Amino acid sequence: MLFTLLCITAFVCVHAQDDSTLFNSPLEEVVVTATRSERKLSNVAVPTTIIQGKRITQSGSLRLNDILGEQTGLFITESFGKGLQMQGLSADYTLILLNGEPLIGRMGGVLDLSRIAVGNIRRIEIVKGPSSSLYGSEALAGVVNIITDQPSADRLSATVRYGRFNTIDASVNGSIKRGKLFGSAFVNTNSSEGYTLLPGSRQKTVEPFWRFTNQYQAGYDFSPKTKLSATLRYNLEDITNSITVQNLGQNIVSTGSEVNKDLNFNPVLSHQISSKIKTQFRGYISTFQSVQKLDVKDLVVNYNDQFRQQFYRMENQTDLLMSNRFNMNAGGGYIHEGVSSNRYDSLSTQRSNNIGYSFVQAEWIPVKKISVIGGMRFDANQAYASVLSPKLAFRYQVNDKMSVTGSLGRGFKAPDFRQLYLNFTNVAAGGYSVFGSLVARDEIQQLVANGQIDNLTPSYNKLTDLSPETSTGINAGFHYSPAKSLHFKWNIFRNDINNLILTDVIAYKTNGGQIFSYLNISRALTQGLEFEGNWKKGQVEFTGGYQYLMTADKDVLDDIKEGKVFTRDIETGNSRKMKRSEYAGLPNRSTHMANLKMFHEWQKTGWFATGRGIWRSRWGTTDVDGNGVINREDEFADGYLQLNVSGGKKFENGIRLMAGIDNVFNYKDELNLPGQPGVNWYLSVGYDFMNKHKH
Amino acid sequence: MKTTMKGITVIVFAALVFSACSKEDNNSAAQPLSVVTARDIVADTIIGFSSIGQPYGSGKYTFYSLENNKIIPSTDSNSTKWDIGFRGTSIITNSGISGPGNGGAFVQIGTFEDLKLISTDSVFRTDLSTSNYAIPAGSNRGWYVYNATANLLTPIPGRVLVIRTALGKYAKVEILNYYKGGVTPLATASDDDKIKKQRFYTFRFTVQPDGSKTLRD
Repeated sequence: MLFTLLCITAFVCVHAQDDSTLFNSPLEEVVVTATRSERKLSNVAVPTTIIQGKRITQSGSLRLNDILGEQTGLFITESFGKGLQMQGLSADYTLILLNGEPLIGRMGGVLDLSRIAVGNIRRIEIVKGPSSSLYGSEALAGVVNIITDQPSADRLSATVRYGRFNTIDASVNGSIKRGKLFGSAFVNTNSSEGYTLLPGSRQKTVEPFWRFTNQYQAGYDFSPKTKLSATLRYNLEDITNSITVQNLGQNIVSTGSEVNKDLNFNPVLSHQISSKIKTQFRGYISTFQSVQKLDVKDLVVNYNDQFRQQFYRMENQTDLLMSNRFNMNAGGGYIHEGVSSNRYDSLSTQRSNNIGYSFVQAEWIPVKKISVIGGMRFDANQAYASVLSPKLAFRYQVNDKMSVTGSLGRGFKAPDFRQLYLNFTNVAAGGYSVFGSLVARDEIQQLVANGQIDNLTPSYNKLTDLSPETSTGINAGFHYSPAKSLHFKWNIFRNDINNLILTDVIAYKTNGGQIFSYLNISRALTQGLEFEGNWKKGQVEFTGGYQYLMTADKDVLDDIKEGKVFTRDIETGNSRKMKRSEYAGLPNRSTHMANLKMFHEWQKTGWFATGRGIWRSRWGTTDVDGNGVINREDEFADGYLQLNVSGGKKFENGIRLMAGIDNVFNYKDELNLPGQPGVNWYLSVGYDFMNKHKH
Repeated sequence: MKTTMKGITVIVFAALVFSACSKEDNNSAAQPLSVVTARDIVADTIIGFSSIGQPYGSGKYTFYSLENNKIIPSTDSNSTKWDIGFRGTSIITNSGISGPGNGGAFVQIGTFEDLKLISTDSVFRTDLSTSNYAIPAGSNRGWYVYNATANLLTPIPGRVLVIRTALGKYAKVEILNYYKGGVTPLATASDDDKIKKQRFYTFRFTVQPDGSKTLRD
């Protein structure tokens, strides 16, 4: 709050370049995520996309899922919050970074993207394909790096927005620079009364919520060579819970709330040792806490679920520019992470893991048109097996219109604390239990001693220390730019995922309840083709994208081959062998996804307008015929087209007006798209206290 | 309606085949075995809810004779007139603790049609205790899978119950559906609807009356 006050009182304006001037500037887009160092986007050898902050604003996005859901090949999943599916891999397998530091607080493996406000985002960088060689765990499908505004001048703006379902979103964003000292602040509040898709439901589809985000940054440039900065972010999410379960004529009312708190602190010290050597020290402290409390009427035992996670990291990275032909960076760090939860043992038992890691990456330009990048990272873990993640990429500039890229890398995801230590018994739903792999044997022995175990399954004997889930990813790209205003890119990808961790029944209780634990038992593959086109002329830009995706559980493929997968004929109900052509792959994946977007600006008058259409083909939802895979017509949700439009004007006196409608066609699928309430309109008013005359 | 009509046709056809068999006994080995579909066999349907909201039935099994394709009254439970019995998700055989017969069963993975001969080395299990029936109870253990999210029970496709009848003859059974009318309620249906419509078995079966292990249809 201190910085907000500072900004408000600091009315002395220094005119500086507004972001919007980027629109016509010939400046090349720069990306840092692909190589952990600044690179021109056009020179990067791995599939990379940049979303500029202005596009986020113009699209009317409030939360990270809003804007990512409109990008080619990305899909927002709706289990455990808004997750990101990339190259057909589940939300668990994409690393989400905020200014280069990982966001924590995954529930069920999913980092809920709606916890992240986008009002102060300068750009989002998306790198597809395994990137564990640089970033370690979780970077199997790729990396999303959110880069927030860096304080560069005195700026202050405020925005208020109102929309359907009493959605109120308000932000204040400001920065100040005084010589060598600079600071910035971003405060956002976002709330809604939620909605109900199925009338008569005993719980709202989306419950009322309030989210509050603060981000403060301060920095000091000791010299042009030595810079220090620190970012503090605090995020609060409060979701009201009111659940009425009608248990056979009886209403059981539970009321309470789910409160999620994020705190991140990230000091960074950079020093340019010489013209060829640069080093950076980064510290990161992040905590996440989730508390869900429910007062169940007429029940003595109330529900109180608590989850606390800590992540501490120290890291150094040093960049060496050896020659015009050769440069490299190397680094290492130490991570301490811990979790306590009453879903594990008790809140007082702290489960922890320590990780030491080092990485090195070299870029070599043997001849003018070719660059080769090789890198690897080694993660030594305390709680599970160590991992080596190599990566190799190349880029060949055929001529000034065409280039070819290729990359091959390995990614991994470490077993999470839930998979290692969970100790959960659901008394309500048939008394099933889930035990983490490291505690399962002890828990089972205890239950055996109590005479509560009926029998153990063969999977019980397969319980071992979990290994990280690993993938090998290949990406091959082709870029073609027939004219300066026209760009096309194609990318073919394939990811082979091994050691996937799934739950399996390890024992049955005498009361019939199942006991699950986690095992490295599954293999999967995702492959496809991505295409993007971009045409920009004057003040209008058209972009289009398409992804073809094919996914499969490899064990299911083997079983189909061996005639061990069956289905039921819809007409007769009789079983028959399932054919390979009937297998639709992993659930919740569309074979086809496409988007077409138009952004138009009238710089002289300050107007802008956007239209964004996002289409996806049908996708598998639930297994109806009991064979555990998606194959029958009635196991799919319908494909759909969503059209979002927005427009606005920036006045010379600093006022900004904007209006938009998301989902103009009011598409709804109550069962399969709980996060889609239908047509959604909004109006927003903003005011720029400085830089008024710039559009 | 279409499926019901088909079912009736099958039953009528089966009856015809049976009567034909009895007339020409000398030819029975060459006769194809019939596939009979039994519909809406109630299996202790829900009759009420306890004070804490638990659904309950009368607790009684429905006994069925595969050989004679009919329901056997529970007064004959201690006889060899029945071959299998249904109560909720439990399926018993006329063996062990369940009945005085020479019954037994095991669950075979494969299609009903593909099971043409019970292999000589297959082991028939008997009902040893209420938690250890020949046909295992429990989700994903025997013949069905239960989806707790949807609160729906689905027979697993490709599971054939290989049955030895009370009188020691061989039969194969495929459970087709667990809900009234042979139609599983939609996942969106109310819990009330799902509870009221459950415990109605639709299954198809073939009996080899000559005592051999060939089940060619």
